[in-house]
Amino acid sequence: MNMKQWLDDQRRATVRKPLPILSFPSVTLTGIAVHELVTDSDKQAQGMAAVARRCDTAAAVSVMDLSVEAECFGAQILFQGEEVPTVVGTLVETAEQAQALLTPQVGDARSGVYVEAVRKATALITDRPILAGAIGPYSLASRLMDVTQTMVNCYVEPEMVHTVLDKVTAFLIAYIRAFKEAGANGVVLAEPAGGLLTPELCQEFSSDYVRRIVEAVQDDTFIVVYHNCGGAIDRLVPEIVSVGAAAYHFGNAVPITSMLEQMPSECFIMGNVDPIGVLRNGTPDTVRAATLAVMESACPYDNFLISSGCDIPPETPWENLDAFFAAAAEFYANK
Amino acid sequence: MEMLKEISLRLQKGDAKGVKELVQQAIDAGVDAHTILEEGLLDGMSVIGEKFKNNEVFVPEVLIAARAMNMGTRLLKPLLNDSAAAATGKVCVGTVKGDQHDIGKNLVVMMLQGKGLEVIDLGTNVPPERFVQTAIDQDCQIICLSALLSTTMDEMGNVVKAAEEAGIRDRVKIMIGGAPITQAFCEQIGADVYTADAASAADAAVELLAQRG
Repeated sequence: MNMKQWLDDQRRATVRKPLPILSFPSVTLTGIAVHELVTDSDKQAQGMAAVARRCDTAAAVSVMDLSVEAECFGAQILFQGEEVPTVVGTLVETAEQAQALLTPQVGDARSGVYVEAVRKATALITDRPILAGAIGPYSLASRLMDVTQTMVNCYVEPEMVHTVLDKVTAFLIAYIRAFKEAGANGVVLAEPAGGLLTPELCQEFSSDYVRRIVEAVQDDTFIVVYHNCGGAIDRLVPEIVSVGAAAYHFGNAVPITSMLEQMPSECFIMGNVDPIGVLRNGTPDTVRAATLAVMESACPYDNFLISSGCDIPPETPWENLDAFFAAAAEFYANK
Repeated sequence: MEMLKEISLRLQKGDAKGVKELVQQAIDAGVDAHTILEEGLLDGMSVIGEKFKNNEVFVPEVLIAARAMNMGTRLLKPLLNDSAAAATGKVCVGTVKGDQHDIGKNLVVMMLQGKGLEVIDLGTNVPPERFVQTAIDQDCQIICLSALLSTTMDEMGNVVKAAEEAGIRDRVKIMIGGAPITQAFCEQIGADVYTADAASAADAAVELLAQRG
């Protein structure tokens, strides 16, 4: 599939299909538990297919599990009931540990499950692109070195941070290439921790490495969708644009119009209905209102596509998700 | 005093080494420890707190300012009068049970310390009974709860219930915050204050303590 053409088609469409980060709520459609979804490629592919059958989305998205890559490096992962797994503890605390950190192979830990899930999903979902999911380099490094301490280390131990960033970036390039080989049409690269940084730190420790990944994997058949839901993104626009992604996806910490106003019109931008406060915790009426509000403010920009602000939690009610899609359809019907 | 102003400025720049040197110089020059704390360190942290609230500085700048403050307070601690520290108030802070996220909680800790409050950082994944027992054992006036997950925020209600059952709600206030948290949720669970960011949390804590008299 020519993804450059696909993006052009999205931009030209007068009625656009939403593209929320919607995968985990498949648990209530299929009866597949979260812990099965994140450990079994068959079940993950089935979950993605169930969402695609239920929802007319512009693309299918893989499961956004930001613990997979850290686990490959040896981080301790907490599997807690039906929660999405999380990284606990700190793997790298010293420069010596950073030097000694081994770069894993694709297939280590659960990374193989995710690649295989995409491969299997390509046979089940044939009517739209499939976007894999991966964590961004700075966000991954933060998970290995502790989020708070990494920010401090950017000032006091920059070489240590760069050492880890080099290794995680090399792994991420290999991992994303595996998704590409498995048939994915792109990747949502989640870099939320980068959205907390100052402009200078963001450029040096996040964007320069994201750019490395984009240059290694992106072409006309495979796009990088840069995701950032950090709170400072509207003050990091040049640094974000510098990564050169084909599309951008932003969270609800800032109004999406502030990104649309500041970013070049060539940048295709998606977002940003609150996945927790609105989609998970709201009612169909409040979901409708919030979705319409975002669309009314943002759809005048032709480089915008409605989405959630981030990954939608597993227990989000389907009546709310249905209301999200209905609101989008309502907006275009009344345009 | 110029030296104290310089401590404040260096702290705002996150110059931990400079703050440590200047605080030591001030101590050696005979400046009162409380004065160094208030007019040097807390002054600088207060400026950073306001700038953070107004989006004039970023999270890393707050972190390195707090690091510089901690370098300075470490030198002052042996010289500070215990009763003076107790007078400003004591808060226990943690991320609720089941939740491992700590960046928001860490920022709140720093901002509270920047207001001169004594802070007991309980870390992450803290069960309700530990919040309550700490408040009792350490005589805290405020329990501060952080949650980042929609599935763990309900634990905040359990902390409120546990505090009620322990009979301490008349003297311990409960503040909540975190990405999924709202004012409506605060009212729903019977917590006292919701704040949207760490700097506001520190302001609210100071106000709560002032209301107590």
